Amino acid sequence: MDIISQLQEQVNTIALVALNTFGTLQRDAPPVRLSPNYPEPPANPTDEAINIAEQPKTMSTALVQAAKKFDALVAALPLEGGEEAQLKRIAELQAENEAVGLDLQKQLEAAEQELKQVQELFCQASDNCLNMKKPD
Amino acid sequence: MAATSSYPPPPPFYRLYKDYLEDPKCAPEPPPLIQGPYPLFGATYTTDVMLPSLEDQGVRQLYPKCPNIDYKKELRSLNRELQLHFLELTDVLVERPSQYARRVEDISLIFKNLHHLLNSLRPHQARATLIHILERQIQHRKQAIEDIKRRREEAQKLLRESLQTLDGH
Repeated sequence: MDIISQLQEQVNTIALVALNTFGTLQRDAPPVRLSPNYPEPPANPTDEAINIAEQPKTMSTALVQAAKKFDALVAALPLEGGEEAQLKRIAELQAENEAVGLDLQKQLEAAEQELKQVQELFCQASDNCLNMKKPD
Repeated sequence: MAATSSYPPPPPFYRLYKDYLEDPKCAPEPPPLIQGPYPLFGATYTTDVMLPSLEDQGVRQLYPKCPNIDYKKELRSLNRELQLHFLELTDVLVERPSQYARRVEDISLIFKNLHHLLNSLRPHQARATLIHILERQIQHRKQAIEDIKRRREEAQKLLRESLQTLDGH
């Protein structure tokens, strides 16, 4: 995939990871203690509690890594030369292409001419050979 | 259901092309290319294939408007701003959860700017591809010229040698 498409994919990945992060954190967040008068809800030390503690870390790592990959892709963009430099180079290449094309056509015509001559000579030589052959 | 004027029936020109296979000249030529905007099934389309600017789509442009943008710098700074907005969103969700909408709008604005900036890199990519194709074509043509020259010299050498062989006899 070309680098601009990779960059676009990476932007979409960052958006997806961010959405998943915020959505999961909001869904799994334990309730907030409203006032010191109300009793603390009974804490359940289950596997879910361990996951809820680990989730922000893993998801934020994923988000930061996605952002770093985006930076690396941006650094790899081959952006030397502006629009005018590119247009100038295209004009130069077109002129060179025309010249090389004319040269190629000349070579082709000369080669075809030589081929025709060789074919005629071969015809004459084979005719002479046949004429010189003694009839049985 | 009667057809409205924006959905006309297909034109009856197909009857003129009955004998097209036998005589291509008996039927009329295709119409010339359309210039400028044209209506199609009630909507207006344009023949000009320019990327519409963010302002045309009603989106605020966050990076500076100048003819020579430093794309790498702007992309990196938009990325930094995006990460900052994520942090702000988490703060808002903890402190004042009801005010998330503004933050989410800012984040989507940054994403729209990022995508527009990447799309505006495509013409540059197209020109670079054209340069690459032209260079490859020139290289192929030069290779072909060298091949033809080499073969012609070989053929002439063979003819000279055979002439010498015949003269020798």
